[in-house]
Amino acid sequence: MKLTKATALAAVSILAFAACSTPAASTAPSAGASKGELKIGVTLPLSGGAAADGQPTLKGAQLAIDEANAAGGIGGYTLKLVPLDHAVNGKYNEQQGAQDMQTFVADSKVVGVVGPYNSAVAKVQIPISNAAGLLQCSPANTNESLTKPEFGALDYRKSNPDRINYIRVAATDDIQGPAMAIYDYNTLGLKSMLIVDDVTTFGKGVADNFQRKYEELGGKVVLRQGAPADTTDFNGIISSQAVVATPPDGVYYGGVVTSGGGLFLKQLRQAGLTIPFTGPDGIVNGSGSDEGSLINIAGVEAATNSYGTVAAIGDFPGKAAFDSAFAEHFKADADFKTPGAYSGPANACAVVILKSLEAALAAGAADDAAIREGVRKYASDPANKFETVLGTESFDANGDTTQPYISFYVTDPAAKGGVGDWAFKEQQSFGK
Amino acid sequence: MASMAVGATARPNVLAALRHSGASPYLFIVALAVAMYFVLGPRQFVNALTIGAIYALVALGYTMVYGIIELINFAHGDVFMVGSFVSLFVLTNVLGQEGSASDLGGIVFELAITFALTMVIVGILGVLIERFAYRPLRNAPRLAPLITAIGISFILQNLVQIIYGPSPVNTPQVISPTARVDIAGVSIGWVNIFIIATAIVLMVGLQLFVSRTKMGRAMRSTASDREAAALMGVDINRTIALTFLIGSALAGAAGVVQGLYFGNIQFVIGFQSGLKAFTAAVLGGIGNLAGAAIGGFFIGFVEVTAANFGYFVWAQAAVFMILIVTLVFRPAGLFGQQLGERA
Repeated sequence: MKLTKATALAAVSILAFAACSTPAASTAPSAGASKGELKIGVTLPLSGGAAADGQPTLKGAQLAIDEANAAGGIGGYTLKLVPLDHAVNGKYNEQQGAQDMQTFVADSKVVGVVGPYNSAVAKVQIPISNAAGLLQCSPANTNESLTKPEFGALDYRKSNPDRINYIRVAATDDIQGPAMAIYDYNTLGLKSMLIVDDVTTFGKGVADNFQRKYEELGGKVVLRQGAPADTTDFNGIISSQAVVATPPDGVYYGGVVTSGGGLFLKQLRQAGLTIPFTGPDGIVNGSGSDEGSLINIAGVEAATNSYGTVAAIGDFPGKAAFDSAFAEHFKADADFKTPGAYSGPANACAVVILKSLEAALAAGAADDAAIREGVRKYASDPANKFETVLGTESFDANGDTTQPYISFYVTDPAAKGGVGDWAFKEQQSFGK
Repeated sequence: MASMAVGATARPNVLAALRHSGASPYLFIVALAVAMYFVLGPRQFVNALTIGAIYALVALGYTMVYGIIELINFAHGDVFMVGSFVSLFVLTNVLGQEGSASDLGGIVFELAITFALTMVIVGILGVLIERFAYRPLRNAPRLAPLITAIGISFILQNLVQIIYGPSPVNTPQVISPTARVDIAGVSIGWVNIFIIATAIVLMVGLQLFVSRTKMGRAMRSTASDREAAALMGVDINRTIALTFLIGSALAGAAGVVQGLYFGNIQFVIGFQSGLKAFTAAVLGGIGNLAGAAIGGFFIGFVEVTAANFGYFVWAQAAVFMILIVTLVFRPAGLFGQQLGERA
């Protein structure tokens, strides 16, 4: 229901902007009447427990598209945002993600796609978009194997290994996991950890990276466990032999909240363990009033003393302006009025696609196929730089951002009138 | 004849059946439980009993329905899920409860109301499902009601999804989960004690009902031979409806317990729990009440043992491995299908 509401709102606002842009089009530099419509796809999980992840991210992209249309479109074209939801039963679903990507590929008017959110979805989407040469820019995917050949990325871009079509503005888990390991060991002073992952592409990957670095630093891993998504009872792990024998200083949860992170935290606290609960961006998903968020499920009291990383720049240069533009633009919406951790990156992704489209059109791309290829080529070219809300973005030969930032967030129980929210703490650049 | 024979010698029959299948499985279970206590330690033992109690309550419904009409009621897991949402409704909308109750009187009052209302509502839901989805197909090929059951399962899931949305929903934990009691130096949650006690009371009550009352006798006779029971004057339709009422009410109780223990429910929980409860029922010998209950606890122990020694990721695989091994070596389940006793 939420989805239809959001889609309807998106459609209405796009219509409204399209209507506004008609008179403006005559003053636009492109001159002449609108050449028609081009589409930018958004592939995110948007409903259920995943809405706390997907909706603010979608809105970040939507803001960029609406602003472009309000300014007269790109090269005479009006732009249409096409969001497809691949959450099934409130969780991201790979098969649905693959289907949505087929839909985008088949629609020749789609010039680029923003998304996906979850690395497991990217694994099934990249082969499809790579074969078709459709540009995909992910604001939030962090699994390192998606782009870096040394981690097996060539398996995903088999059709055209050298024609990069997947770029991302998020840092990778071989940075995100170790960053939290350093933070836990040095800043929080946690010398022994309980590590639990949700046995997914993302969760297990980031937990492996965390553990490697943490042990390298001299930390002791009391217990490492896999708890498959859908696990509801974590009590067996929490009071297991190893944990009881040597109580850990802290916990790292490699996974997302829809896999049970919230229940895990809740049961930890109920068992009397008030040690720091730390995790990757999968647990930093909205305030206590967003349904399905970590703070909402665990309860604000239990969520206290939780730390999370976000694989994006948290305090970016244009943040204040972006936040107020976001709040102004979506003030009429019932939910998700404030930006999430990946709203800015999604906005940046949309801007990268728009700028690439502009360049492709300027270079003379005329038919749909040429425009699509032009966008892909321009965006993935390491020589090009993009002015985005995150700062100047560029991508390396594999499609990774050249400025990988990790931001650290901590739960603030007093935020939002006592329902609790994540508060930005600090950020570090891991660029070369 | 059948009904008379069963009725006249109900108790010796139970004993005979026990002797027939051998008391050894039961002794084995007791020995295993004692061993598990020393292996796992008291805290994990209680965790296993608690989670096992939920599986066991759901498993009873599977086994009762299979016993009486030989239908694997795949909608039963979702009846359990509906139970958890009905209890949420009763607690928040009827009683206006948020969070934990503060005094003992409040806890007793609210839990009594919640259990009573939820079990009645979910029991009636079970009867309605039987009346409209299964009874018209009672003489149809086996596959037809099975597919209908899957259909009902989807209907229930979607209904709850429409009403409560697809996100996990928090439920009030009436007994504060941090309230603990020290028993012989081990800190155990009151909620665990309450859940285990409730499950045992319900199971003993069910066993007494089936073995001691007239209606229970009707259930057993219908299970042994439906036509003969009808000839002896047993109202088959009413007896089957009663079976669904009780089985679903137990699932409703399990639903209350689920919300109470985890404080969080979602419309998909029926599938996982249903599958495990079904495994428990098969493990104990489908149609066998005591078997289903023990099977439920057994699965709880498998999961917690796996978690305790750091193999949690294999817990589910282990559960289904045990199912396969049971089916290969003891197709009738650990305790046999005890046709006379099944209900």
